[in-house]
Amino acid sequence: MKKGFVENGFIIDLSNTKNTTQLVFELSSVMEHPEVKGKKVCLKLGNQDLKQSQLLSIKALIESMDAEMAFIDTTSEQTEASAVSLGVIISKLDNDIEVASYTASDCEIQEEAVEVKEETPELINDEEKSVEVHAELDNEIQEPISTLEGIEDTYTEETTQEISEVIPIEHFETEFEMLAVNEGLISNEDISKYIILDTGDVLPEGIEENSVDTKTLPTLYLSQTLRSGQTVNYEGNILIIGDAHPGSEIIADGDITVWGILGGIAHAGAKGNITSKVRALKLNAIQLRIAGLYARRNDTLNVPYVQKTNEFTPEEAQIEDGKIVIYKKLRRD
Amino acid sequence: MTGRVIVITSGKGGVGKTTTSANIGTALAKEGYKVVLIDTDLGLRNLDLLLGLENRIVYTIVDVIEERCKLKQALVKDKKNPNLQLLAAAQTRDKSAVSAEQLKEICDTLKEQNDFVLVDCPAGIEQGFQNAVAGASEAIVVTTPEMSAIRDADRIIGLLGPKEEITSVKLLLNRVRPSLIKTNEMMSVDDVAEILEIPLVGIIPEDTGIITSTNKGDPIVNSEDALAGKAYRNVAQRILGEEVPFLDLDEPKGFVEKIKNVFAKLKAKV
Repeated sequence: MKKGFVENGFIIDLSNTKNTTQLVFELSSVMEHPEVKGKKVCLKLGNQDLKQSQLLSIKALIESMDAEMAFIDTTSEQTEASAVSLGVIISKLDNDIEVASYTASDCEIQEEAVEVKEETPELINDEEKSVEVHAELDNEIQEPISTLEGIEDTYTEETTQEISEVIPIEHFETEFEMLAVNEGLISNEDISKYIILDTGDVLPEGIEENSVDTKTLPTLYLSQTLRSGQTVNYEGNILIIGDAHPGSEIIADGDITVWGILGGIAHAGAKGNITSKVRALKLNAIQLRIAGLYARRNDTLNVPYVQKTNEFTPEEAQIEDGKIVIYKKLRRD
Repeated sequence: MTGRVIVITSGKGGVGKTTTSANIGTALAKEGYKVVLIDTDLGLRNLDLLLGLENRIVYTIVDVIEERCKLKQALVKDKKNPNLQLLAAAQTRDKSAVSAEQLKEICDTLKEQNDFVLVDCPAGIEQGFQNAVAGASEAIVVTTPEMSAIRDADRIIGLLGPKEEITSVKLLLNRVRPSLIKTNEMMSVDDVAEILEIPLVGIIPEDTGIITSTNKGDPIVNSEDALAGKAYRNVAQRILGEEVPFLDLDEPKGFVEKIKNVFAKLKAKV
């Protein structure tokens, strides 16, 4: 299940209205508020049956107020059909937290983050690209594994899924992120782990020539814990058996592999090799850098110390189509 | 615009220089002033952690000095307040990577574009300290009511004295515990001020909230009800030239005691 956020949007809850007339009346009373201008409106329609023409006029009403209809939430089949034919996005709202929803009679409208269960790509604000891990983990693995029977740990590439671009919005982050977390709006697993940093013109020159297969590069093998302030720099691949604590830096021309917890900064392909990868038993780098792409860890996951753990989910980060993509290795039972 | 360059120093480590820098910087930025915080503690940087900005740092002060980036690129904007910017220290280098002249140059450039430049000084009186004070025209000496911290503060004040560029040296007394002062287990504010003979700019009570705010990367001035936060906001006001009375640090009493007090006052009136 993916979750997204709509910037600059709010929910209007119309699910309590009894008929279309009442619905339109309630909606227009909310829409008259000057603050609605330029916002994205998400309608909660409940079980109201709306014909295509009715939905169209509602959409027109919203647009006449200089607002935009982001999506609707409905339980009615007819409304759903109308929405599909009109190309209106249907989504499931998960607003059991009271602050996030406003009833129609509630005239005070505030900017609020809206939680959407289905991703609505149209709403993605491209200001800041980011990386999210999509993997249905643990849901299937509910039964404890008996250690007596001998477990075969198979990690397979096939079960990994690609990460799509995500949604975080600078605006939301600064003002609402903490609020949202406090209100339980975001659960940590569902938000993007890394957010691309805008570093301007840091992209090293001569990318193409440098992008040789990293397998052909020599590898530095280190068996130690990297502590804060320690830097490893090597013109090839780096393999570290141990943890890399926050404050440490690993800079390699090729791949970086940490057999342990990666908590510091990792820069793979530092001279511009875009085929380089960063992999770790626990990928928790404060910053992930591959060639000229820099990503910072999301603030909500920003724990300033190394979190020791016995549970590892090996992950691998690489560049695909100009984005940093993280693959999670899943255990196949 | 010519801003004020204030160095926050102490001599002794662990008395709260970095916490003070982060909080005063945040408080001034909240007042609408443009503030740059410079972390000069090369190799042992912490200011970014206290502000929760570690994950945003790409360039550091050493990159600026060694001309790998422009000064503007190295300034990291605060998450909450765009008026506040951080120039981080390099974690993987040591104090010798920077010279006093270079730091002065950076301070001079930054004060042209900002109202305040706050320099977080490393502990000690060596190169790092000399670097940090180089560009400053004012100093805030942080100390705690302990003999060792006071001795080191005294030493620092002595070192700041002959520096002509520094026109004002003020004292910030940190981690004060009124309950211990009452029982004579801790030196009182007056005692410390008397020993050090410089004007007080603030008294900050010991507050467990500082620990959580440090861990969260969110300075305590951002929490409205914390006493330490209020004390730091007052310090900012005093830096701005306002006359703010010092906080009554008596710990909040229990309900019964409050009632007793009321009765005592009534009796006195009668």
